[in-house]
Amino acid sequence: MTKGDTTTNPETDITWEVRANSRHFHKHRQKRSFLCFRWGRYADNVVRSFKYSPLTFLPLTLYEQFQRVANLYFLLMVVMQCVPAISSIPWYTTTIPLVIVLSVRGLKDLTNDLARRRSDSQINRRPSDVLISQSFSPSQWKDVCVGDVLRIHKDQIIPADLLLLCSSEPHSLCYVETADIDGETNLKYRQALDATHTEMTSDPTEQTLAAFDGIVLCEEPNCHLYNFRGELHWRGERHPLDSEHILLRGTVLRNTDTAFGMAIYTGSDSKILRNVGRLRVKMTQIEKVLNKVVIGIVLFILLMALLLAVGSGVFQGRVSSQIEVLSALTRGNSPIYTAFLTFWSYVILLSPAMPMSLYITFEMIHVLHSLFIGWDVEMRGGVERSIPAQARNTSLNEELGQVGHLLSDKTGTLTQNRLLFRQCCIAGDIYGDASISAEESQTLDLSWNPFSCGGLYLSDQRLVDKLRGQQCTQSRQFLTTLALCHTVMTEWKNGAPVYQAASPDEEALVGAARELGWVFISRTRDSLTVSELGLKRHYQLLTLLDFTSQRRRMSVLVREPEGGLKLYCKGADIVILERLQKDCPHLESTERALDLFAQSSLRTLCIAERTVSEAKWEEWSKTMAQAVMTTRNRDDMLERLHDDMERDLKLLGVTAIEDRLQDEVPETISMLRQAGLKVWVLTGDKKETVVNIGYACRLLDPDTRLLEGDELRQLLQSPDPEITFSKGKETELWCVDMERAGEKSALVLTGPELAEFDARPEWGARFMSLAGLCQSVLCCRVTPGQKADVVTLVRKNTTSIIMAIGDGANDVNMIKTAHIGVGLAGVEGGQAVQNADYTLAKFSFLQRLLLVHGRWSYRRIAVFLRYFLYKTCSFALVHIWFGFFNGFSAQSLYENWFIILYTVFYTAMPVECLGIFEQDVSAECSLSWPELYKVGQRQELFNTWLLAATLLHAFYTSLVLFFMPLGVFYNSALDYQTMAVTVSIALLFSATIEVKRVGGHGTDIILLTRHWTKWSVAAMCVSFGLFFVCTPITHSPKLFEKSPVDYYFPGVSQNAFPNPVVWFTALLTAWTAVLPSFTIHTLNIILTNPDKHRVHITKHGPVELQKSGFRRGDCHRRSSYAMSQGRGIGRLITSGASHRSTAPPVDRRGTLGENVTLAGQTQSDDALKNIPEIGSSK
Amino acid sequence: MMKEELETTNRPDNTAFTQQRLPAWQPMLSAGIVIPGFVLIGLAFIGIGVALFITSQNITVLEKDYTGVETTSDCYKCSNPSDKNCTCKLEFSLSTLFEGPVFFYYGLSNYFQSQRSYGASKDEYQLSGDLDYFKTPISACSPYQYDANQNPIVPCGSLANSMFNDTFKLYQIVNGTKKLVPFDGKGIAWWTDYNIKYRNPSVTPLKNAFNGTVKPSFWSKPAYELDTSDPSNNGFVNQDFLVWMRRAALPDFRKLYRRITEGDYARGLPAGNYSLEIAYNYPVLSFGGRKKVVFSNVSWMGGKNQFLGIAYLVVGSLCVVMSMVMLIVYAKFKFPEDD
Repeated sequence: MTKGDTTTNPETDITWEVRANSRHFHKHRQKRSFLCFRWGRYADNVVRSFKYSPLTFLPLTLYEQFQRVANLYFLLMVVMQCVPAISSIPWYTTTIPLVIVLSVRGLKDLTNDLARRRSDSQINRRPSDVLISQSFSPSQWKDVCVGDVLRIHKDQIIPADLLLLCSSEPHSLCYVETADIDGETNLKYRQALDATHTEMTSDPTEQTLAAFDGIVLCEEPNCHLYNFRGELHWRGERHPLDSEHILLRGTVLRNTDTAFGMAIYTGSDSKILRNVGRLRVKMTQIEKVLNKVVIGIVLFILLMALLLAVGSGVFQGRVSSQIEVLSALTRGNSPIYTAFLTFWSYVILLSPAMPMSLYITFEMIHVLHSLFIGWDVEMRGGVERSIPAQARNTSLNEELGQVGHLLSDKTGTLTQNRLLFRQCCIAGDIYGDASISAEESQTLDLSWNPFSCGGLYLSDQRLVDKLRGQQCTQSRQFLTTLALCHTVMTEWKNGAPVYQAASPDEEALVGAARELGWVFISRTRDSLTVSELGLKRHYQLLTLLDFTSQRRRMSVLVREPEGGLKLYCKGADIVILERLQKDCPHLESTERALDLFAQSSLRTLCIAERTVSEAKWEEWSKTMAQAVMTTRNRDDMLERLHDDMERDLKLLGVTAIEDRLQDEVPETISMLRQAGLKVWVLTGDKKETVVNIGYACRLLDPDTRLLEGDELRQLLQSPDPEITFSKGKETELWCVDMERAGEKSALVLTGPELAEFDARPEWGARFMSLAGLCQSVLCCRVTPGQKADVVTLVRKNTTSIIMAIGDGANDVNMIKTAHIGVGLAGVEGGQAVQNADYTLAKFSFLQRLLLVHGRWSYRRIAVFLRYFLYKTCSFALVHIWFGFFNGFSAQSLYENWFIILYTVFYTAMPVECLGIFEQDVSAECSLSWPELYKVGQRQELFNTWLLAATLLHAFYTSLVLFFMPLGVFYNSALDYQTMAVTVSIALLFSATIEVKRVGGHGTDIILLTRHWTKWSVAAMCVSFGLFFVCTPITHSPKLFEKSPVDYYFPGVSQNAFPNPVVWFTALLTAWTAVLPSFTIHTLNIILTNPDKHRVHITKHGPVELQKSGFRRGDCHRRSSYAMSQGRGIGRLITSGASHRSTAPPVDRRGTLGENVTLAGQTQSDDALKNIPEIGSSK
Repeated sequence: MMKEELETTNRPDNTAFTQQRLPAWQPMLSAGIVIPGFVLIGLAFIGIGVALFITSQNITVLEKDYTGVETTSDCYKCSNPSDKNCTCKLEFSLSTLFEGPVFFYYGLSNYFQSQRSYGASKDEYQLSGDLDYFKTPISACSPYQYDANQNPIVPCGSLANSMFNDTFKLYQIVNGTKKLVPFDGKGIAWWTDYNIKYRNPSVTPLKNAFNGTVKPSFWSKPAYELDTSDPSNNGFVNQDFLVWMRRAALPDFRKLYRRITEGDYARGLPAGNYSLEIAYNYPVLSFGGRKKVVFSNVSWMGGKNQFLGIAYLVVGSLCVVMSMVMLIVYAKFKFPEDD
């Protein structure tokens, strides 16, 4: 999504024209592109998320790869080594590795791209019914064209953004599930225009649909999921359209047999794809630093080569011109030309400071780390642990150890999206125990109830006894309320009622009532049928006062079979408690129960009832009828009327619903918080649920204060929110501990508020500085595009690494935008997984992924890179100093074979072991000391300064490596080749000593120890031994006789190895070279707090969740009534619009729905028949 | 499809490697180990330093410059490069016995044998006795590849061409008469150089192999006549030639010329006056070079090397001093709270 899209003024012109059933018109204007030319207007319905085509693969992949400075540099080296005048090593020694590096990367990208192609074509080949020339013919998604009329069947995914024309349901309603778009699993309804509905349902044939010739004029394609503006021009009339009439691509048709729609936006124009975001190449922080360092090193090499070249020019002019034996060798070349050649020779000679093997090893270590993630049995999830964690992007591992912000989706990620009725309080008595997890709680014996289908996680025999004992009226009333006061619809499948609710909470409540014997059987426009402990009762529905987010309650007024009028009400505790009659019994105990439920992070609803007198009802309904007629202040009046009815309530009890979290989510979040991560929640869901989940998963502490709405706006408007914020804290009472006050608050931001950020760019920075003070941020009602915007906001205003985790298509953009995207596997669609860098089976595996694998990876790679640069730089820079003693002639101080084998054989294995096996502390320690993770967040192991220190150390080492032997060899009878061997041994010594030490370098934290596995010890011995094996081989007379030019050191090791001076020199040189780093290391050890040593010794228990008790008075009860946003669907119920076959098939009373479908005939039907009936009063 | 892919991923065994639980030794470093460690290393270095220093001290070295820069020097007369076949004398006296075996070196300074193109200017094939390369030396030898008449130069190249050609004779002045001190020139080059790296072509007499070639322009005698006294010491395996061809690393170097191991001098040079007769041929003054002769005896560690012993002592003391500083730091900052 581009910035331009979000800033689009909603008042944009209505310029997008779609003509129904005219393929011809649209096909001509289809978007096409050739090379960089694009034309046409309407996109086709084909998804193309791949990057490469056969033509563009090579140039694109090369372009991408040469964005790495190092690759460009290696290319330069390759080119230079093809020039004979300056080349010192055969051309293939660098060309072949470079080609391998490039092709391995390219192939990796290609396979990823092919996988994307496959998944694209899978989507593109999904079936869809398109109306072509008077009849619906089965075709595929990719064939859908703008203006086509489509037929969507139940449970089908909608292939394009459609204008709903009509559906099989009454009033052309239809229900869609938008889980993939906003993460909400509750159903949303869409309704066709009256005009199209009446025309097409009266004669619902293909002919009528084919004859439809309306023209839709609407906005240009945009990314606003919840907005749509347009109008339908049909038969000379203009019908305004809004988002209620639109079925979005990616949503699923539910509860509706068929729906007919006309495609308005297809393919890349559709709203969901506009929200998907671009695929971008991710580069880790370390790679960026490394890139900078590579540039630095290359510049340094060039500068040094230049200086040495100047030196060689001067030397030729001043010194060698006097020496006949030397001047003759220049063959009459001018000093400047010699200098020019020397420059390039020195560039080649110094280039091993930045070897290609660094990148090859780097890549190899990355791949191994990724494999480790996949191999970890403790990160396998799913059935029988069949789903391993997977690193789809193998080059981001070290960044897992540096994550500062975790941006998480809610539904499916933190929560299972299962709502369970766990506890209730009736007449002051609490039933059920939420401290036992739902899975472990005993199931009640509900065999007496023929309608029981399981799914009740409240196990308290007392309640059942009370209900069946017929004594306790209050508990019976309580369940009656649950069974009556809702907007749920039933559908009969296999003789059991299946509830369809707009809100999962309601479904849970009605389901619980069913299990306990109060079975909601069916509803019509004006009646409800409930089987109460097997006794069927019909209630007449007089009125339904629906839920809104302001009212936070809903009520039904019913006439009981006995004739009495009852108002049943449920709602948020604050709202209900202030409407209770005076001296309501059990108030105090109920409030205690509310606190208790809130402590266990359950969502509570208060249940109340009121007996209404006939007179009151008549008066009220009269006023109501009048109020509906008026136009002025209608809403206010209605509000007053509702208020008038919902008063003097009698409190029945409280329900407590658990929004089931994924496994170990609170533990994980509390651990991540201890590790210094800021966990944010971004969701399309509404505020109340998010806040509740925030508390439930320990993201917010019980006494955390929420900053939201106007308060937040005020803070953002003040020029310096941090100061205002701290001032505000001082004056307020909730702040107990001044310093921790900031940590005790959280920001709540909604989508519309986030949209304002575009207009006020300064808010972003202010918001982030506020967020930095707070413990968390909750973003609700945000679109997928906005989720990505939040990621961008954080990216822009902080330097920390952002990880996004999600499971659905709505998280894809966020996952792509974040530094690291994690997808949760095992969820339908797998869109998030396809686009993620890592896939996990469970949220709780983040613990291991970040704290163990990430921390290790970061540490290993940081140490590896630092050590690698140290060993190569100190190796190559020696030539600078030698230049002063050989007339700046680019004479190498090493044997050629040593140069080649040094990085490949002699020093490669220990550093690889370091990069693979290094563990400063064990996995258990990492998990029990999450604070250790902060090292990565602060970039303590790999930053420019540390690298500069490393390079300085390498510089110093190169000085020592040359000048120590110089002191020994100066004015002695020892020759050049002996010196070459001496320096090689010294270098090898210091590099090997350094690799043993490097583990704890540069940090003042606990990390003092090195991990010595048998592998690393073996690797050290082997590579060290290799030197003493390979050197005599390359120095052997046999090889010399074969090729005197290649093996030009015959007998050197034979003469040098027995010479004690060589060894004493090498030992001294090596120790002097590593002395500074050893000293710093030792000082670190001495100055480190001895307490920290204990990390290694003591074994910690698992991280405990702090169960801080609630303080009475300041507690935040989290009563929330989860409904889809805005209004409920009560309006549709009372208007009868949605009524179809909600009655059981045996009910032939005819009062219920006209279209009785004869569904399954099972034993339950018999059970139903046996229910004695009590007739309704009418 | 995704799911299939995940399930078919091979499940590795729960091995120590895949689970990263390889048994490992994690050394627990603490001040109590590190500071004594530092002291120990320091002491070890001091120990080595003392040993090296004493060994080095016991070596006697007599070094004499004979370039002839000073007008007082006898060799001043030879410093004019146009003067061929100049001989000069260098006299010195020993007050005590110069213990043997005495090694006699010549030394050059400001002489860049480590220059790259200079070092590369030789033909390894030719020098290993390949007759093909006698006729066509490799181009690396250029401009010492062919002479003006396009005759191949053997041995070719600048390195061979510039071979040191001063010769020395040492006399002890005994009662006014000169007594020649016998020099031993055998085995002064590396065994591998003599036996493997350099070989004469298997042609007898050796002279015939050099038919059609010319000697390097600086040389007064062709390669096969380098040592007239010993026929086996000629060609590419001449000891002086081998010593010269082994390049020095640094611009100041010495090379072994002879050993004094025979006759009356097997125990060393007795006290007395000596006269060194130098056939002064090698020009160095043009580039500010210096020539010198060095008499030295050797120990188990070779020639005199003050630097190594002193460096060991310095680094060792540094370690000890540093460990003291660390101890103070540790005592100051750690002990009060470490209980």
